[in-house]
Amino acid sequence: MTLSPIDWIIVVVYVFGCLFAGLWMRRFIRGVDDFTIAGREVHVNLGIASLAATEMGLVTVMYTAQLGYEKGFAGEVIGVIMAAAFLVVGLSGFVIRPLRDAGVMTIPELFEQRFSHRVRWLAGVFVALGGLLNMGIFLRLGGDFLVHATGMPASWLESVMTVLLVLVLLYTVVGGMLSVLVTDYLQFILVGIGIVTTSVMVIINIGWTNLITTLQATWAASGGTAPHPFNPAHPTSFGWGYLIWMFVFQLAVVTTWQTTISRVLATKDSGTATKMYRRVSYYFVGRFLLPGLWGVAAFVYFSQHGGLPAGLNSMTAMPRYLSAVLPIGLMGILVAAMIAAEMSTISGYMLTWATVIYNDIITPCLRTPLSNRGQLLLTRMILLGIAIFLLFFGLWYELPGDAWTFLAVTGNIYLASVFTLLLAGLYWPRANSTGAYAALILGAIGPLTFLVLAKVLPAHQIPAEVAGGSSFALAFLGMVVGSLVSRAPAQALHPQPTP
Amino acid sequence: MKDPFVLVWAVLLFTSLGWYGFLVFYIGAKAGKELKTLIADLTLARPPTPPAPPAPR
Repeated sequence: MTLSPIDWIIVVVYVFGCLFAGLWMRRFIRGVDDFTIAGREVHVNLGIASLAATEMGLVTVMYTAQLGYEKGFAGEVIGVIMAAAFLVVGLSGFVIRPLRDAGVMTIPELFEQRFSHRVRWLAGVFVALGGLLNMGIFLRLGGDFLVHATGMPASWLESVMTVLLVLVLLYTVVGGMLSVLVTDYLQFILVGIGIVTTSVMVIINIGWTNLITTLQATWAASGGTAPHPFNPAHPTSFGWGYLIWMFVFQLAVVTTWQTTISRVLATKDSGTATKMYRRVSYYFVGRFLLPGLWGVAAFVYFSQHGGLPAGLNSMTAMPRYLSAVLPIGLMGILVAAMIAAEMSTISGYMLTWATVIYNDIITPCLRTPLSNRGQLLLTRMILLGIAIFLLFFGLWYELPGDAWTFLAVTGNIYLASVFTLLLAGLYWPRANSTGAYAALILGAIGPLTFLVLAKVLPAHQIPAEVAGGSSFALAFLGMVVGSLVSRAPAQALHPQPTP
Repeated sequence: MKDPFVLVWAVLLFTSLGWYGFLVFYIGAKAGKELKTLIADLTLARPPTPPAPPAPR
């Protein structure tokens, strides 16, 4: 089934309405603070809407559905772990309270206050490298969804990706964080409605009892060798090693992933930030589980309809399944919602990595500070550069395995080292620059080895949990040993609340 | 159906579906008001438009 004219009208009206709203915010930009962190004027509910919209991209829908298709409901345990991490940090204020009180614009900026000018620069390089590699597959996965959900020719994928990117770039370049906040709000509403109605339709279509009994029967028929569809700790599913890595990984994500932290740094104060985390936590169960349900339902649907058609795989089965079962009108709302999800994620991520490159890599190297106008122009040029990188990387790169593992490993390039630096910088007075350098370099070795081996020697690939888990262990070891074998720092950081 | 894991996933799925719907309408309404306030504050903070230069004689 392809989209009907009614569906296309819904999609076009939404996309251009969103573009207009984003462009309209340009009038309020007074300087780089407004452009990158909305002048620190974000209240709790708008922060929740923006955080939820940014972290719910079309790429999220694709990889969670792929996990559901390949591992059943057990694949969605990552969302439960992530929700637990948000709740723990929201209740305790762990990392995010002192981080917001420090009044910085990015995490590497804090490292200059605590360690040194050069540590900030090196951390900025790792943050930007991990973030941009991670984001590199967003457009490709989004294009895959649109091609298979709408029935458009596969040869249109590159053109669709380019048009989508140009639209997002337009409003992000002119309006910065203020445009992102307005469009995030519209996207939060539309994506929420699209995901809830689609999930209800999927349950009605496939039938809850049919879903469960088919998963159980398929696993029994495999003799227990297929991934267990309900128990994530089962050796055929993730297993305990992967789950332990995920616990540490998600704690690092909610305290150091710059796109999440940029919402913390844009809040009015640290109390607003912790409240935002507590209220948004359970959302992340649904963020994984609801699109994951679509992937599980696609698996059951195709197993009862003669198997997966030629040309489809675990990633593209879900959009094809939805296009077969959703009625006219609802399909239009879903496609508009998914385009909205893609736009909010790409705009939020582009702005975040551009801020890091501007604030932590280029600005520290300038001999004389730029004028307000020069700062804005530089940030906008970086945004354009990121967009060009995304287009070419998205077209060229082939995933080494499933999408979630790629995203987790590329994120791990900086998560392990930056999480270690943050913990030590905020809570261990003995930590110093030598330890910080050691942690940054050792933390990136595991994930980079994983990515290089995947391309050069795929037969000798190391498991993702070994690459990811070892990076945390090496970063911690580097920080402790490096700090203890060198001179103690002159002063530790005790951030005071800043307005 | 007696697998305890199935019960856990059923509870998680249906509560997250309800929570998602609640968030969209409740948080959506409140965030809309905050966005209006933010835009109103920004409008007040906007520098006044400079007067137009006098027309040439």
